[in-house]
Amino acid sequence: MISRKPHVIGKPFPLIEAQRKLTGVSCYAGDEELPPDTLHARILFSERPNARFHLRNVRKARRHPGVVALLTGQDMTTRLGYSIEDRELLATSQALYAGQPLAIVAAETPAAAAAALALIQVDYEELPKVLSIEEALTPGAPQVHPGFAGYAGADKLNAEPERNVAHAQAFIRGNADEAFAHADAILERTYTAAHLQHAPLETHGGIAQLQEDGELFMWLHIQAPFLQRKIISKALRLDPARLRIITGCVGGSFGGKVFVSIEGLLAAIALHVGGRPVKLLLNREEEFKGVFISPAMRARIKMGATRDGRIVAMQAAYDWNVGSSVDADLFNMQATTLAGTGPYAIPNVEINTRAIYTHLPPTAPLRGLSVAQEHWAIEQHIDEMAELLGLSPFEIRQRNLVKGGDHLFPHFTMHASGLATCARQVADAIDWRLSAPVLEEEAAPEPTGRGRGLAIGWSPIIFADECGSRVIIHCDAEHICDVIVDGVDTGQGLFAFVTQLISFELNMPVEWVRVMPTDTGNYDPSWLATYHNLLWSVGHALLKATAELKHQILSYVSESWQEPPTNLDIVEGEVISYATKRRLSLLTLLMEGVGEGDAPPVFEVTATYRPPHTEDGSIDGWLQFFTATAYAVDVQVDERTGNLTILQMAAAADVGHALNPESVRAQIKGGMIQSVSISLLEEMIFEDGVPVSLNFSDYPIATTADMPQKLHPIVVEVPQQSGPYGARDLSHHVQVGAAAAIGNAVYRAAGVRIYDLPITAQRIYDAIQARRQARQG
Amino acid sequence: MKHEIQFILNGETRTMAVESQRTLLEMLREDLGLTSVKHGCSTGECGACSVIMNGEVVNACMVLAVEVDASEVMTVEGLAQDDGLHALQKSFIDHHGVQCGYCASGMLMSAKALLNRTSRPHEEEIREALVGNLCRCGAYADIIKSIQVASRARR
Repeated sequence: MISRKPHVIGKPFPLIEAQRKLTGVSCYAGDEELPPDTLHARILFSERPNARFHLRNVRKARRHPGVVALLTGQDMTTRLGYSIEDRELLATSQALYAGQPLAIVAAETPAAAAAALALIQVDYEELPKVLSIEEALTPGAPQVHPGFAGYAGADKLNAEPERNVAHAQAFIRGNADEAFAHADAILERTYTAAHLQHAPLETHGGIAQLQEDGELFMWLHIQAPFLQRKIISKALRLDPARLRIITGCVGGSFGGKVFVSIEGLLAAIALHVGGRPVKLLLNREEEFKGVFISPAMRARIKMGATRDGRIVAMQAAYDWNVGSSVDADLFNMQATTLAGTGPYAIPNVEINTRAIYTHLPPTAPLRGLSVAQEHWAIEQHIDEMAELLGLSPFEIRQRNLVKGGDHLFPHFTMHASGLATCARQVADAIDWRLSAPVLEEEAAPEPTGRGRGLAIGWSPIIFADECGSRVIIHCDAEHICDVIVDGVDTGQGLFAFVTQLISFELNMPVEWVRVMPTDTGNYDPSWLATYHNLLWSVGHALLKATAELKHQILSYVSESWQEPPTNLDIVEGEVISYATKRRLSLLTLLMEGVGEGDAPPVFEVTATYRPPHTEDGSIDGWLQFFTATAYAVDVQVDERTGNLTILQMAAAADVGHALNPESVRAQIKGGMIQSVSISLLEEMIFEDGVPVSLNFSDYPIATTADMPQKLHPIVVEVPQQSGPYGARDLSHHVQVGAAAAIGNAVYRAAGVRIYDLPITAQRIYDAIQARRQARQG
Repeated sequence: MKHEIQFILNGETRTMAVESQRTLLEMLREDLGLTSVKHGCSTGECGACSVIMNGEVVNACMVLAVEVDASEVMTVEGLAQDDGLHALQKSFIDHHGVQCGYCASGMLMSAKALLNRTSRPHEEEIREALVGNLCRCGAYADIIKSIQVASRARR
């Protein structure tokens, strides 16, 4: 059945990806039906951080029945990285972190692969290590990467490897030091946020096979196939034209399946098994210890304000514990520097962002380029500042809010934004009248256990150098319109958006549009597709492509009809002439052509979008705009136990124009739940550098039992003039502000401020005890 | 040593010879090709492999294949009806009960078992029924709504 009326922009649109996911169709890692000659790969991970090691019994393992290939760092010295090659594919003689791959085996059965690795004995000689930012920065501390200067890409980073500083970025406006002298109130605080696990339910995995013609095929479930093609082909010295990555469904990425983790090993072993397919699928424990964790944060903020509530100066030092690799974090260094003041126009600013190497696993930001963690610090700081000045949380924010027209960075002037609207609407949603100058809660002499908190945020939409989006639309008799985009649907609704946009622009039924799996084979080998902010990037490419396709179709018909193309249009799946009232179904056109004896036509367009940018190396060279968010929460704290209950949570996001409103609300609600999980429950724990959070019992993530009792998702629409249909990206910016709103509410509820994420019941309890003792003492 | 077992899978009688240590998850996914039954943790923590066994939701990774002898097992493959998708599946599509989708099969099974017991569950009952099914995207609110709407549609 074909619905004749195309779905339009801004109206409900079904998730086209959903049906196959709900019927159990095979599309995720491990679902593939395997040819009988498939081999099973397994990785040997280091058990110790920073240790020289020796592998014994490797030859015995190689001879184990069923083993086809076994690689160690002695067989291949291969460095891995996109901007900076600060990782080894397989450790050669020294493991930098517990969980680093030491060997990979491919065998006839999973059991044979496991048995072979069990034969290998690893002797470790432990070396002094650094695990925290403080340890790494201590003068004379062990250097994580003594060979840093020799790594490809080292010259592009602003590093001090001897001090374990992998990269540093700064932004300075005015003169903060001088301005502090004129401030009436100055507040200095330190905040931290823990390492997190991306924890997708689908673990990392895939299949690789060397084809007879020498091309390496990989079937992966990742967020950035074009980036991975570049990294893997560079590491293994393959011609990128001979490495083809086809992407299936992605069962959760959240930033953890962007950069290469196990995929490089899978490619390497597939080159050594005589063309047989190799399958690799991590189990849950391997997923926890063997891929990426998120960088941990230490933020030191000093802020000065005048009595009337104007923030006149801010110094912020954001230090990120990036573990043993910074390669996947360079982008969030830039994002957190740009967002470093929070959404406030402060005349005198000094932001210093540093990535610090330690002997922990490689890091990659978890959803939102670490801007959410940064706002944990900023937005609690603002609240404490407000209290110091006798202002309400709303007032201090309103007095300092960044506004459209503010010239913030060399090339960037702030656009119109729904920041203030977001703040007002979240407060309204939980019945909090924030306009009153002094809050009821503050008037109460003792905390009552119940409190409300507010936080707002902004998150920059930036793109990496070289990145763009390219789409191909192919229409013919067989397929009607097949679309290939270079972005991946990770559950954010990209493919639904693609279908919606094409059916809208070409005014034809959605059933005629089919989005094909993302496949690097359709693109030239140098192409690097952007892998986030896809609404913006893919959206612009699609608008170009559909305009060109429509032009092709109308030109073709106009020639046959001998009418000027300007008379023609496509309306509800038909080419029509406004002049002669002739009509021709697009289907008929594609099946039969226009007239007698006409061969059916084929239309194909490729369109590329490159975001506007300046290449002068300035920090905002690739900055497009900011997405605004706000959170308000209403919490209950049990003072006897520290237990926290979130009664209500409201989140607002300014998406410019909600093209698929239900989908936007779904993203906001999901972002709220994931924020609750990250803010209250999650912390990757290491004992002496060895991860001990290796399953969902030791690393709990939110269940339905942890949901706030009431959720209020709010969509704000202040159009982004430069966006597709005035829209802005949302999905990975949606969590900004959540943690701080909870922190601020805890303060109002229990009279204690928590400076370290996650906000565990233990931390609240300890803070309440400390407060009581301080009073008694 | 292999054991012969007979059970009803999605309404059809099946006979299988299985090793004693083989889990129900391995048998369903690998031997019978039912890819709806997802592998998430192998330790009964995530619920991705939830199936219905004799009317109750179980984590297939925590049940041995030999235990289903003489039992009745249902997976998502048995949910769709002759005239198309089950009301739950339709509702999940319409109400955005899916993001990345990896948890969806397990959610559907927990929901189905709940609706078999209680035709019009309250929100609190749905939350409770889903507590063993993790969703990393945090789509719980829309999953709950999908189940509520489906339960009303069934009447």
